[in-house]
Amino acid sequence: MESRRALKFILSLGITLTLIYFLDNRLTIGAVTTPPLGRFVDPFHGFWANLEADDARPPEELNIPGLKDKVTVVFDSLMIPHIFAANDEDLYLAQGYITAMHRLWQMEFQTHAAAGRVSEIIGKSEQIQNYDRGQRRLGMVYGAQKALEGMQSDSTTRMMINKYTEGINHYIESLTDASLPFEYKLLNYRPEPWTPLKCALLLKSMAQSLNMRDKDMEMSNALKLFGPEIVNLLYPDQEPVGDPIVDNPGNWKFNPVKLDTVPLSVPQQMIPAKPELIRTRRLPAADVNTGSNNWVVAGSKTTTGSPILCGDPHLGLNLPSLWYTIQLHAPGVNTMGVSLPGSPGVIIGFNDSIAWSVTNAQRDLVDWYQIQFENSSKERYMLDGKWVATEKVVEEFKIRDQPSFYDTIVYTKWGPVTYDEKYHAEDNKKHYAFRWIAHDRSIELLTFYKLNRARNHAEYMAALNSYSSPAQNFVFASVSGDIAMRVQGKFPVRRPNEGKFVLDGSKSSSGWHAFIPNDQNIAYKNPERAFISSANQYPVDATYPYYITAVSWEAYRNRRINKILSQPNKLAVADMMSLQNDNYNLKAEESLPVFLNYLIDTTAVQNFTAEEKAAIDILKAWDYYNNKDSEGASYYEAWWDNLMPLLWDELEKEGITLSKPSTFTTIRLLKEVPALSLFDIQSTPEKETAREVVRKAFALAVTDIEDWKKTHGTPAAEGQAASAATDAHWGAYKDSYMEHLTRIKAFRIPVETGGNHDIVNAHSQTHGPSWRMIVSLERTGVKTWASYPGGQSGNMGSVHYSDILKRWVKGEYIQLLFAPSPEKSAGQTYATTTLTSEEEL
Amino acid sequence: MRFLLQIIATAIAAFILEIFLPWYSIAIAAFVFGFVFKSRANFLAGFLAIAILWAIKIWILTGTSSSDLPARVAQLFTLPKSEYLLLISIIIGGFVGGFAALTGAILRPKRREPYYIPRTNRLY
Repeated sequence: MESRRALKFILSLGITLTLIYFLDNRLTIGAVTTPPLGRFVDPFHGFWANLEADDARPPEELNIPGLKDKVTVVFDSLMIPHIFAANDEDLYLAQGYITAMHRLWQMEFQTHAAAGRVSEIIGKSEQIQNYDRGQRRLGMVYGAQKALEGMQSDSTTRMMINKYTEGINHYIESLTDASLPFEYKLLNYRPEPWTPLKCALLLKSMAQSLNMRDKDMEMSNALKLFGPEIVNLLYPDQEPVGDPIVDNPGNWKFNPVKLDTVPLSVPQQMIPAKPELIRTRRLPAADVNTGSNNWVVAGSKTTTGSPILCGDPHLGLNLPSLWYTIQLHAPGVNTMGVSLPGSPGVIIGFNDSIAWSVTNAQRDLVDWYQIQFENSSKERYMLDGKWVATEKVVEEFKIRDQPSFYDTIVYTKWGPVTYDEKYHAEDNKKHYAFRWIAHDRSIELLTFYKLNRARNHAEYMAALNSYSSPAQNFVFASVSGDIAMRVQGKFPVRRPNEGKFVLDGSKSSSGWHAFIPNDQNIAYKNPERAFISSANQYPVDATYPYYITAVSWEAYRNRRINKILSQPNKLAVADMMSLQNDNYNLKAEESLPVFLNYLIDTTAVQNFTAEEKAAIDILKAWDYYNNKDSEGASYYEAWWDNLMPLLWDELEKEGITLSKPSTFTTIRLLKEVPALSLFDIQSTPEKETAREVVRKAFALAVTDIEDWKKTHGTPAAEGQAASAATDAHWGAYKDSYMEHLTRIKAFRIPVETGGNHDIVNAHSQTHGPSWRMIVSLERTGVKTWASYPGGQSGNMGSVHYSDILKRWVKGEYIQLLFAPSPEKSAGQTYATTTLTSEEEL
Repeated sequence: MRFLLQIIATAIAAFILEIFLPWYSIAIAAFVFGFVFKSRANFLAGFLAIAILWAIKIWILTGTSSSDLPARVAQLFTLPKSEYLLLISIIIGGFVGGFAALTGAILRPKRREPYYIPRTNRLY
């Protein structure tokens, strides 16, 4: 009997332990890997524990070693922290701690992504490994290390990043199994200690999404395929449109840096006798829809008599939100606005005396150099007639649950060789080294430290001097009444056409020889028309003495903004709100009449289907507003989206790197050169002109909309059959959503809004206004209204994860609490947390 | 009665252990009280103890939060409703509790009816 019981015991114990083992570890079933199920569903430590009560408040007291003095953090009802510290060190330590409290997973994941370390979290995947290698081969870590050296070289920025890092690490140490952010539980890993390098990586990641864009290879191919005439027609340096950011003709009174002694390196040398096309499949560049609006109106043009500054950066819209709103107060500083989780200070915002915001300066700050190696060992490469030694760096890529992968990256004078026969080897005969302005040592953080404390125009100008990359259009206003704009960045002095094509890496003369001095950058103050705006358009009038080039310039938002701001009546904050949410489609105004004219041929019998006839009526009646309930907008955008690939099918050659002309140039050519040979659709025997292509695109667009209606109707319910959607209004048809950083579909939040790219309210499917801010710089106190798609908390289980998103979708704003002390915040205080260090007690 | 006591004792012990120890500490609670009580249905007692404890905890958490996190996790696991996620959670906890309780009960030798104590006066 006893032995039978022993057997039963062993069996039962075995089952229990096996069960626990499997529930405590990740299981891989087919292509799916589950989190450790027992641990994940345990309500005491698993994901349920991430549910935060709606009325949850941060702890009243926190013990944080390393603080010099007491720090008071006031949280308002949106969970925006207002940090009051007695010195700068405590201020940045507290900023690190509080930011990590809300956003730790996001901060770490973004820096892992920047550093090409996603495989460490996700595991073996060809796509992810390709991404990770790309990040390293683009020199993201290399650039971050240079930036870190820069930040460490200055005592102020060194203090900022060290204290901020310390704060984050105190938070990481305080984590328990239960309080670990949800995503760590889902993916079953833990945070590693934060380092100052991660702050630098985060800034590089921002530079990457704003500034790592070029079409050098595409342009080189276009030049070889079509010749210089067509290239100038399709990709002009400057389009005949728009209102430059700074229009100051004849007032550039300085001696520009000249490079007359250095020979031109383009484009003649770029056309070898035998055309040899570049076939490299490029890594994805910064999204073309990443842009921004900002403007400032002088007191003489506002109802209050005080300047109003508006900021509206457009970026990829993800959750947790890219921005973290914060007020930082210490002796000598009282600033508020948005910070990037992972970097100390306020990036876009205001203080007691001034306000500032940024838009991307579209300048070309990226070059590719073709490298000629001595032999396959790549020990030496040709430079100015001599073989010069390369530097090789072996990069380790840790892969979760797998042995590491190693990749040798070769560095040249220009930068890392990104593409070679081991990486994107589509063009295995050639090697391209990558030169990017953000590889250079710089101290952008000092700019934000100084801007956060600047009191006037002179201090704003001084603050910008240490800012290199990514180049931005910094708009400015002060309580004292000044308005200004400065296009700031580290800009190489370019020779005509330099930067547009792939360069010869065997000649030093191909490189950047000088940089535009800071005081010669495009800037102006208090212009006559009493407002300044920027929307990524061409930055300056024709008299500016430096050659400027970029992948593309914005052509529509800037004109719409300036038209509204030019109106003679005085402007109020409410006007600024409606302008930021303006859905007027200037591009449609300028193109739809032409399209309809091409479509409807009165001289011939045309057989439109019933749906096509209805679409024509809707389009004819459309008011050009991409409002969310507009159906005309859906038809127009569907038409446009079908038209572009049909028009430029010649530029989608299999295996050849090419890019499409800009929207503005496309529309211009449709109107002015309808018989352009490139418009012909190659796959058909007929010879099409713009007219026929526009018609074909229209038929395809109507089909798309009808198909969409069929799949977006009411699903079958009890007693009722499924029915097709009766209309395709723009808000639904656009199908915008907020993507979670893991890109897990179940975590997407759909949002129905108007707007689109090329519209002031630039909300396309996945990109758009990431921080709408309106600052009224009144002498009685600075007032700010803001809104952003997200919430303060990065925790999906908190109501503060997306509470501000709900307002943003409706175009609503929040007036920010901005008081000089915790006591003055009373009445709007939701919770107060006191941070003290144990030593002090 | 013993069955009920076993459930209550296991749930309370699991609750206390989970404050300090990882999730699988529920097995320790179920095992110990399976041994101590050795009721007529040990698996069921262990199962119910943990399932009820977890259900109450989830009920409290979801009751105070309007977040849709459970619905999103349910969707990730291709479950149509977050209620199924709750059910799966407590079944997982229940199975671990059940098997642990059974193991504890088996370890304990069968109680012999002591002939000199009248059945009605038994202490447990």
